[in-house]
Amino acid sequence: MTHEWTDRLSEYLDGELEARERARVEAHLAGCAECARTLAELKAVVARASRLPEYPPEADLWPGIERRLAPRRRLLDLRALLSGGPRVSVPIPQLLAAGLAVMLLTAGAVWLALERRTTLRVVPGPQPAPVAGLAAPDTIAPEAAGAVAADFGFSRYDAAIADLERTLSQHRGQLDPATVRVVELNLRLIDRAISQARRALESDPANPYLNNHLADQMRLKVDVLRQVTALIHA
Amino acid sequence: MILNLAAVLLVTSSFTVHTDTTLAVKTGVRLQVNNFGGEIAISTWGKNAVHIEAEHSFRTEVGIETTEGAIKVETRGRRGTPNATDFKIVIPAWMGVKLSGLYTDVEVEGSQADVRAETVKGSIKVKGGRGYVSLHSVEGSVSVEGAQGKIELESVNEGIEATDIEGEISAETVNGDVVLAGVKSPSVEVSTVNGNICYQGEIAKGGHYSFATHNGDVGLTLPDDASASVSVSTFSGDFESDFKAKLADTGGKRFSFTLGSGDAEIALESFEGTVRLRRAGEKCDESR
Repeated sequence: MTHEWTDRLSEYLDGELEARERARVEAHLAGCAECARTLAELKAVVARASRLPEYPPEADLWPGIERRLAPRRRLLDLRALLSGGPRVSVPIPQLLAAGLAVMLLTAGAVWLALERRTTLRVVPGPQPAPVAGLAAPDTIAPEAAGAVAADFGFSRYDAAIADLERTLSQHRGQLDPATVRVVELNLRLIDRAISQARRALESDPANPYLNNHLADQMRLKVDVLRQVTALIHA
Repeated sequence: MILNLAAVLLVTSSFTVHTDTTLAVKTGVRLQVNNFGGEIAISTWGKNAVHIEAEHSFRTEVGIETTEGAIKVETRGRRGTPNATDFKIVIPAWMGVKLSGLYTDVEVEGSQADVRAETVKGSIKVKGGRGYVSLHSVEGSVSVEGAQGKIELESVNEGIEATDIEGEISAETVNGDVVLAGVKSPSVEVSTVNGNICYQGEIAKGGHYSFATHNGDVGLTLPDDASASVSVSTFSGDFESDFKAKLADTGGKRFSFTLGSGDAEIALESFEGTVRLRRAGEKCDESR
């Protein structure tokens, strides 16, 4: 399946093609089992996305959500990197993983934005300003009573990360060994941050900052893994 | 005989070829360069023309394709992977560029238009850029000076530096410092995992500023008349400030305070480092 047809399938699915182009794609689909299969799988991703529960943000929260999403939506643009060079074919598991990651990020961002409302709450009664050395976490009263540990999306992040790590492990031989070393160093740094954030959450499970921070680190790990697995097919 | 033949082949294959061509361009045409390895150096002049020079191996072909909207330049290996190629390209300052490579260093100077650059094992240095400036390296550093517009800076394993930039700014890396100086922006978002963050710049009324690191310090140098609602979050870090403020504890090791009338929002996060607020004139020494 050529890249040209891959691109067309996305546009076809999104209803962005003009009638003539649409007819061309349909004619191609009729004779190309691989493209037909790809289209079916893309449709499955879209259907899966539509079944996700909705967490509609409040109108006044949207600017904050947008700020969180915008700078992070970009990934290494392999198509640009390789424009005119060898064609790239992204396997379906990659597409599915990428689709899943996008869904998770969107849902997670909405949740984070909602959760941030608690961050912005000001507790009455200003306290003296410490210059250095903040109090230990357990000396400060926990967040609102009855608050529960927020683990929305973390397990799904774990699943996406596991998928991408499996892909990397299977294909690492196709990458420059030096690049693999560098990437693994960075993944270890992120893993350390994730591990520390998880441990911190055990002592303060309702802390919005820690939940936020853990989500950010996991999101970053997904980003880095996606960049690297994309390189595998370059 | 065989050795002689091998030597001849070796010499022939390593011949350096010089490509040199100039193309007239109409306003609005963009330049795309895809160089597998080597260097892409872009500078500008006052002519409506693009001058392309390339030093490359005999085994590497430089393809130049012109379409109505773009000039596309790329390296291709005659047999397999292209060898390293060094490009020196002069373009009109108004010309947007999209530069990419794997083992490629990128330098752009004097651009007054969009600059997009992506590389895996190379650094990116840009002076200028207007509109959309998007710079991304996996293993190399990213630096930009004098850019204006929507500015996106990303690395994975190196630091990011930006000086005298203006517009909507985001900067993200995993293993490196982020140093921003002379910034004029209503929107700044910076993050790193293993690195420090240093910010010197204006705080715009109604602006949003977010700085987050896991294993590093965050230093902000703010004007004396800064007006912002500031939130600070950490797990095992510290907070130091040249500004006197009454803190409101928001739980955990998080608190907020207001500078002036709180016209902007500043969020400062360091999991295990120190967050410092300094007055203008103080040097931001967080960068390692």
